[in-house]
Amino acid sequence: MTEPLNILLQILVFPGFVFTVALGLVASWVVRKVSALVQWRVGPPLFQPFYDILKLLGKETLVPQQAQRTVFMAAPLVGLAGVLLLSTMLWRIAFQPAELFVGDIIVAIYLMVLPSLALILGSSASASPHAAVGTSREMKLVMSYELPLVMAFIVVIIKTGGQISLAAIAEQAPVLSVSGMLAFLVSLLCVQAKLGFVPFDMAEAETELGSGLYMEYSGPLLAIWKLMQAIMLVALPLFLVTVFMGGFGSAGMPLAWGIGKYVLVLVLVILIKNTHPRVRIDQAMKFFWVYCGIALAAAVVLAMIGNSCGWTWL
Amino acid sequence: MNQQELNNKLSQIKAQLISIEQTADNRIYLSCEARNAYAVNKFLFEDVPLRFVIATGIDSDDCFEVIYHYAYDEIGCIINLKVFIRDRENPQLESIAPFLPAAEWIEREIHDLLGIDFKNHPNMRRLILADDWPQGVYPMRKEMDAKIARGWTCETSSRPAPESPARRTVPLGKPILPVGPFHPLQEEMEFFQLTTDGEIVTDIDMRISYNHRGIEKISESLQFDQVPYLVSRICGICSASHPTAYVNAVEEIAGVTPPDRARYVRTIICELERIHSHLLWVGLAGHFIGYDTVFMWAWKYREPVLDLLEEITGNRNNYGNVKVGGCREDIPDEIVPKMLKDLDEVEKKTEMLTKAVLDDPVLHARLKGVGTLSKEDAIRYAVTGPTARGSGIAIDVRRDDPYAAYADLDWNVIVQEQGDVFAKAVVRLLETLESVKMTKEAVQKLPKGPIAIEVKEIPPGEGCGHGEAPRGETFHYVRSDGGNRPIRHKVRAPSFVNVPSFRASCIGQHIADVTITLAAVDPCYSCTERLAVVDAHGNIVRDYEMLLQASRDKTAQMQKELGWPGLKLEDLQIG
Repeated sequence: MTEPLNILLQILVFPGFVFTVALGLVASWVVRKVSALVQWRVGPPLFQPFYDILKLLGKETLVPQQAQRTVFMAAPLVGLAGVLLLSTMLWRIAFQPAELFVGDIIVAIYLMVLPSLALILGSSASASPHAAVGTSREMKLVMSYELPLVMAFIVVIIKTGGQISLAAIAEQAPVLSVSGMLAFLVSLLCVQAKLGFVPFDMAEAETELGSGLYMEYSGPLLAIWKLMQAIMLVALPLFLVTVFMGGFGSAGMPLAWGIGKYVLVLVLVILIKNTHPRVRIDQAMKFFWVYCGIALAAAVVLAMIGNSCGWTWL
Repeated sequence: MNQQELNNKLSQIKAQLISIEQTADNRIYLSCEARNAYAVNKFLFEDVPLRFVIATGIDSDDCFEVIYHYAYDEIGCIINLKVFIRDRENPQLESIAPFLPAAEWIEREIHDLLGIDFKNHPNMRRLILADDWPQGVYPMRKEMDAKIARGWTCETSSRPAPESPARRTVPLGKPILPVGPFHPLQEEMEFFQLTTDGEIVTDIDMRISYNHRGIEKISESLQFDQVPYLVSRICGICSASHPTAYVNAVEEIAGVTPPDRARYVRTIICELERIHSHLLWVGLAGHFIGYDTVFMWAWKYREPVLDLLEEITGNRNNYGNVKVGGCREDIPDEIVPKMLKDLDEVEKKTEMLTKAVLDDPVLHARLKGVGTLSKEDAIRYAVTGPTARGSGIAIDVRRDDPYAAYADLDWNVIVQEQGDVFAKAVVRLLETLESVKMTKEAVQKLPKGPIAIEVKEIPPGEGCGHGEAPRGETFHYVRSDGGNRPIRHKVRAPSFVNVPSFRASCIGQHIADVTITLAAVDPCYSCTERLAVVDAHGNIVRDYEMLLQASRDKTAQMQKELGWPGLKLEDLQIG
């Protein structure tokens, strides 16, 4: 009796939904505040993201008449469920790595695609020309960054000696090698694209499409998308920390060390966001396929050479 | 080609003209009958060749006049072709838009306002009148004044069914991406309908006129010295350029020259205005391509310029500092050191911004080769200002036909050949640096003396004044009958010719590039839409109270008709 209750508690409260959402909203406040400071603005108060969500929850939900109602309304929930599962999984690896097998890197890759898929489904069901353009951009973007991302994980798998269990990967830090660093940098840019941050925010591009993908969403449904984004802001950097930087809470290391790593990734994301203009979708595709593709092919080769010669730094 | 050669050229068409007059150094008036207008226009545009500025429609007592204004920029000459249309019952003129796309909008405007029919016009839809404005009622005809005096409103006249579907002008069934009437890209209301094929734009249709204030009509009811305050309200940003151009026109009629100090003060205000306008544009351009850091930084650097303007004129915008015969407020000598110090700071920051923009590889990738307006198209659409200079056309009123103190200062006209968005950005940034340089020079050279002379009478006559606003040439034509009000005052803001050039620069672009292409001409809709006497509800706008009441009534009526709150989504024209 207590075991299922315990699992439910873990998913819904700690370290699952409530904890992650709270953390995610704080992280989104950090993004807004740091961006504001970079731009010489004052920025919002700490609780602004919470107020935003609360306000949206109290608003009316409008569904366009021509929209495919079920898909339009279900999509945000699917996306939220996906990231929630991902973040719970990552937290368990961070806090109780040895307890039981909770998932490997391949499961994580699948779960990370879910939010984008849900977005694509939801916005294409909304029957808006702006959302249609946003959807087509999001699809192309997903196709562009998935390949480099998978290749980056191949580098990690090679570096960690063929491990695919996240808990096992988290015990090593591939970022401390040449190929691992390359893979980390590319994954960081993929995370930027997954978060929909500048320079890869063309799918919502406010000044072109008036928020594109999210155009028709309002009220609680929009709040769910916002929550999903907030959780992604926790889960994706955490994933990078787990895979590349030796995990969040490695044995023997204080908690502050893990938090430091997470904040480092978050700050990198914010800085990239604030020092670039938005690129066009064709430019993004070229960037991910050609430049990132070549860099990662090189990284894979380096990692294999390093493995066979025993040079761990390569 | 100099003045002499120009005169020789013009004398080739003497047979078709009634008269050739030279009223001032740089002003030539030709006149002809309606039947010869097409041939003469074609000659002026294609064979001389001249740059088309605008046309003015006038309701004279016994006939309609259409004055085509051309500019000959090499010597800064304005050539006005007056065409008399004698048939008041059925006024007709051959359209010149087929060979001169720049004339398309103004012919539609004249048709709206005066009811002159342009034959063979490619697209004779309403440009600025509301869809439910009654047909056959022409606001700029003089008989309208009497009607308005008797309390005529659109509501009291017989109203026909709207002649066209209200908003969507692209045929149903074509995939369109609406940009507007309200869109985060735009600060003002306008409506672009992009016909798209995937990410590529195949056609663009523009609709303006969501916000009319009837400036030209109001101007006819104000005295000469009240008009500068009116025209400075055409647009907050160009609120030095419009009055300056207007007083240039009136001073030309009166034959007066303002004192030296006034000329310098005008220059300083106009250049400060250009600095803040260009920095504003850089910020907005950054925002449009998602570069919000540039947006905020550029606007921060712009702030001291607004403070200086406030210190001199009392206002950050709407300076109201120009009057016929001089200026209203002087620049106190004690703020000169502060001005120089602030300008140094602005210069440093602008240099940094320019360097950052020119060195950024992503910006190069994003802006180069985007939204290219070729030199030929730039001439056909008669664009002005940075839009023209970015396409390799070296025109600048400040150099070509100097007004204020521009002739005394040392500066360069910035020209780029490529015609893309990047070229326009470079033009604006370098121009900002030139403006800072000019302002500093003018402040240092500021002569002593009075800032205004008294002008008592405006004699009968007509004058053309133009000036280089931040967005391009702003042109004012004023006609006086010797009374204390202008009997016709035509305003052409630069965006009126720059905006139609979107047809040449946007088609074939990515959707992602269209927004920045639209923004690259720095369109100013409040400038473009300054005519007519209607608001969106079709009432004659008399005062705020009446407008408010009408607005409430209309809302109440709509609520009743639609069974409030049953507004349907398809009414919003999303798909």
